[in-house]
Amino acid sequence: MFSDFLLNNLRQFWELTGFANAEVGNFVMLAVGLFFIWLAIKKNFEPMLLVPIGFGILIGNVPFNTSAGLEVGIYEEGSVLNILYNGVSAGWYPPLIFLGIGAMTDFSALIANPKLMLIGAAAQFGIFGAYMVALAIGFEPDQAGAIAIIGGADGPTAIFLSSKLAPNLMGAIAVSAYSYMALVPVIQPPIMRLFTTKKERLIRMKPARAVSQNEKIIFPIVGMLLTCFVVPSALPLLGMLFFGNLLRECGVTTRLAKTASNALTDIVTILLGMTVGASTQASQFLTPQTIFIFFLGFMAFIIASSSGVLFVKIFNLVLPKDKKINPLIGNAGVSAVPMSARISNNLGLEYDPSNYLLMHAMGPNVAGVIGSAVAAGVLLGFLA
Amino acid sequence: MIKKLLLLAAVVGFTFSASQAQDRKALRLNEVMVTNTNSITDDYGQHPAWIELFNSNFGPVNIRGMYLTTDKNQPKMYSIPVGDELTEIGKRQHVVFFADSMPNRGTFHTSFKIKPGQTIYLYDADGISLIDEVTIPEEILADQSFARTQDGNGEWKIRKGTEADNDYITPSSANIIRDANHKIEDFKKMDENGFAMTIMAMCIVFSSLLVLCLCFYGIGKIGSAISKVNKMRSQGKVPTDLGSVRETEHDSGEEIAAIIMALHEHFDAHDLESAILTINKVKRAYSPWSSKIYNLRQTPPTPTRK
Repeated sequence: MFSDFLLNNLRQFWELTGFANAEVGNFVMLAVGLFFIWLAIKKNFEPMLLVPIGFGILIGNVPFNTSAGLEVGIYEEGSVLNILYNGVSAGWYPPLIFLGIGAMTDFSALIANPKLMLIGAAAQFGIFGAYMVALAIGFEPDQAGAIAIIGGADGPTAIFLSSKLAPNLMGAIAVSAYSYMALVPVIQPPIMRLFTTKKERLIRMKPARAVSQNEKIIFPIVGMLLTCFVVPSALPLLGMLFFGNLLRECGVTTRLAKTASNALTDIVTILLGMTVGASTQASQFLTPQTIFIFFLGFMAFIIASSSGVLFVKIFNLVLPKDKKINPLIGNAGVSAVPMSARISNNLGLEYDPSNYLLMHAMGPNVAGVIGSAVAAGVLLGFLA
Repeated sequence: MIKKLLLLAAVVGFTFSASQAQDRKALRLNEVMVTNTNSITDDYGQHPAWIELFNSNFGPVNIRGMYLTTDKNQPKMYSIPVGDELTEIGKRQHVVFFADSMPNRGTFHTSFKIKPGQTIYLYDADGISLIDEVTIPEEILADQSFARTQDGNGEWKIRKGTEADNDYITPSSANIIRDANHKIEDFKKMDENGFAMTIMAMCIVFSSLLVLCLCFYGIGKIGSAISKVNKMRSQGKVPTDLGSVRETEHDSGEEIAAIIMALHEHFDAHDLESAILTINKVKRAYSPWSSKIYNLRQTPPTPTRK
């Protein structure tokens, strides 16, 4: 009798274990998670993002008996993971990240040379190019919009928009967006070389003028009002971005700016990365749609980088000779800050070791952050 | 300190009252039926007249203490009871009041009846602020409702309860029943390949950033002109026009860097410095935890032999 009781309980316990509930998909996803962690630690690809996402994938793909009512899964209401995931599903982590980005970002390069904003706008064509491709493949307009935002190269924006337009695709979109952001150094240089001549790569740009403190303070206030009046649906992202920047620039809230740019951003990045990773459960993630999303994300990145570079070339046709822009900064119109600006700089130095493009490239780079948030607001306004 | 607390309390109080008012101001009278023979029944199986309210907010609103009336001179005719959790209307949700003049039957039974030609008023909890009103048309018949064409806004129309579109009677539910997101359906139908979306969206993105660009181009010009004017005034010169001011602008980043490097060389500065030179104010607040004297131990006294 006692042995039956013992065996019965052990059998029930076995049924709860991961070994009893494992499926092939779980192991595939565990391998993906381990690959991300390997990329982050060994290859130093966006470790701040890929370590939390990779470990989140491991957490989310430990199999368990969902009918046992353990309330541990990320999709089980009331579970700890589900509560943490609310920041993703309800879309309030991304604005907090934007607050930190605003507090970290120096918009001086953009204020000093405002025409660089247009490069940030041109690169958003990647989003809408991918939107057209996604529609052609057969996605619904709202799904296509959510996928296409990967082209903005902005993880928080991609999560924010997909949580509103296509929550079921959010895991794949987020992982795709962050993966390609990590791969920016691999994807962008060949495109930049392809669309530029050697002469263009050697263009030297005038050093930017000094920007006064007053201009730096006015920028977030006017920027927020102007952009949000046009696209109120981008208010959570742009409002927080410019608010964070005002904290940084006003000079009287140094403590708040430090918290927003360090502790708060770190906390939210940890939670966001981990929960996004955990949301990629095999049953939700391993679908043919995910492959299409990765393909479309890749397309979006290529189109965005190309359109940025090509726009500079066209823009140069109307600019005076002494104000020409080096098209190598065109790729920085995507909002992978500061990665894509660094690529512009490195490639510029490759062709002219004394031609530093970093500060020039930071202009379109931060304009890309604003541009992608505006584009997300437009898609949300049209499709939500 | 007291002044600061009072200011904070005033701001919080103002914000709270403003948010309350904002929430309740978005309540709407949404549909009314005067003679009910076949429509919904109350908890007692009766078919009273009914009034539907709609919360057009995207957050819940509690309507306790608000007033419904048919007489503008008597705005507090029926007070919505307090202490019932059901008076909280969820976001974009509806609630129905039975106008049967039997308030003792429960929270949602008013103290008045309604008839064609009357006006129904919804007042805020102060009994003064009118939030919404509707006049029931004289020609309304039995089992017909008078409803807004869309929830919370749009024109009022008589609905006969037929199967035709937008003619059904919808107590406690949306006045228009949609089975799909019409925006997405429109895009699917009219913009199959996404060209329209691309053109519209890129125009919006470009124009937003272009406006910002022009704005900061202007601000930059004005800012640098003002700073130069101030600079010239401080040097005792009087600028004649802004053009002359612009000509004096020579301090490029490269020049500043060259000056700094020259000074660096001149003062024989070293790469490794033992201290940080800063223009920021350095403030070290005193704390007993960081006080030096607490880190020092007294030298033990040398034992002396007696």
